[in-house]
Amino acid sequence: MTKEVNLEIDLSSLHLKNPIMPASGTFDIESTLLNKKQLNELGAIIPKTIAYKKREGNPGPRICETDCGMLNAVGIPSKGVEYFIKEELPLLKKANNIIIVSLVGDSLEDFCRLAKKLNEIKEISALEINLSCPNLNDGISFGINRDRLHNLIFNIKRSTTKPIIAKLSPNVSDIKEMALEAEKAGADIITIANTLMGMAIDVEKQVPRLGNRMGGLSGPAIRPIVVRMIWETAQVVNVPIIGVGGICCAEDAIEMFLAGASAVQVGSANFSNPYVMLEIIKEIKEYLIRKNYSSIQDIIGLIRR
Amino acid sequence: MQKSKNKSSVLTKGKIIEQINLNGNYYRMKIKAPQIAKEAKPGQFVMLSKWKIKELFLKRPFGFCHIEPDSGTFDILYKKIGKGTQILTESRIGDSVELIGPLGNGFNIPENAHKIAVVARGIGIAPLIPLMLESKKKGIEIYSFLSAQTENLLLYSDKVEFISRKTFYTTDDGLKGAKGKVTNFLEKVLQETNIDVVYTCGSKRLAQHIKKLQKKHHFLAFVSLEEHMACGIGVCKGCVHKTINGFKRVCKEGPVFPVEEVIFDD
Repeated sequence: MTKEVNLEIDLSSLHLKNPIMPASGTFDIESTLLNKKQLNELGAIIPKTIAYKKREGNPGPRICETDCGMLNAVGIPSKGVEYFIKEELPLLKKANNIIIVSLVGDSLEDFCRLAKKLNEIKEISALEINLSCPNLNDGISFGINRDRLHNLIFNIKRSTTKPIIAKLSPNVSDIKEMALEAEKAGADIITIANTLMGMAIDVEKQVPRLGNRMGGLSGPAIRPIVVRMIWETAQVVNVPIIGVGGICCAEDAIEMFLAGASAVQVGSANFSNPYVMLEIIKEIKEYLIRKNYSSIQDIIGLIRR
Repeated sequence: MQKSKNKSSVLTKGKIIEQINLNGNYYRMKIKAPQIAKEAKPGQFVMLSKWKIKELFLKRPFGFCHIEPDSGTFDILYKKIGKGTQILTESRIGDSVELIGPLGNGFNIPENAHKIAVVARGIGIAPLIPLMLESKKKGIEIYSFLSAQTENLLLYSDKVEFISRKTFYTTDDGLKGAKGKVTNFLEKVLQETNIDVVYTCGSKRLAQHIKKLQKKHHFLAFVSLEEHMACGIGVCKGCVHKTINGFKRVCKEGPVFPVEEVIFDD
């Protein structure tokens, strides 16, 4: 007899059929191998981060594998919001009923006009703000300065009626402070975290392995750091947390739920296995059945209860 | 070139049925994976892993150097350079690999082509072999220009000579063929013969020479590019190369590009 378990979860006003979704930058509706039915099995879909205007991204090499993970300095290329609305959105609408759009901007104004523009589109469920991207003026990320983070989230919140997800940067000394600041500024949901800044050098050629010299580290190597950050943050904020960083299998995802995440994103593991999210959904169900739980909600934050 | 929509690409298991050490660090591996072999076109590639995700994180791209749809097999040629290829050298017959493919846009053979040239350095000859075999089948005459550091790195020279009307060699030490640029031979042939298309792989320097020759002698030219890849299917945007139309993904818009569109940094 197959026992049914409930994977449904509410994130602010979003109702997800399960808590598994791709991390921005690791899913592309125009290139995915998943078919329509499989796309609909995901809790939500998050297309590649979009910018208001076209962005080229960084010169290569943009990626390199490191121990238990990879570095990327792709530089968030985007074909711009008009292309997104015309070409990608129609495909996304057919794929899943929860569409979370990840936003990049190089200034407060740039972010706000993008948020305003997307507010007109009813099929978009929420906006995720990439706080790791640098401000054009001084190259410093929005997400590593409390005032700047507050100001950005506060103003975006006033440019849209959609739920706002603040995707925090892990490159800070105290993630709790940043999470509290985002919550205070009006963020409805918090994503923890993003890639950690890193660097790799080719010792034979004696040059950095990435064209941009530095890049973001992702993959299993960063997962323990993210689990710690989720656990710390879950104790101080009231908004739901989406965990992301190095999830490769159900066990990795469950670790984040136990630490306090209400949903998780799967990132660069999608590159190695385009079907990994579907496998994780199936295996989380099996775990809950094996442990005698009826709902995913039973294990969220369990370790701190 | 038609836009690939990944429609025929699949994630599948393959079985290693043969592995030969060609010489030094160079290996040829035969893999049985019928779903991929029946769809594969010259110039396309597969993403391959023979490891669990937490042992090595990403799959590695390999071009097809031989495709046999009838027996459901294909060959890859690789050089042992890192952890991934090291694991491959330790393979045993019957071992399984995980594959995504076939991927990318292959070589385009124009309808009216009568004579083509292939120009390769070292292992760069690998993806050109299936193209040569297909061209030969169409009755196209092939001129081959191979370059390598040393004679033993002129891989597949017997096969190339057998398929080609004429084969030219250069080696860096001059012990086989001439010393110097293999494209000097190409230029001579271009002066005497009407070559319709030139295909190249394995060296950006060679591709740059071909680009220069293209301005003088008129021919179509295609280069198969290599870049580090994370996904191979167009999602990660990690494998881009500079072109006159901005950055293009080697895995998706390529790996084969018209030479005149590619911008090579000196």
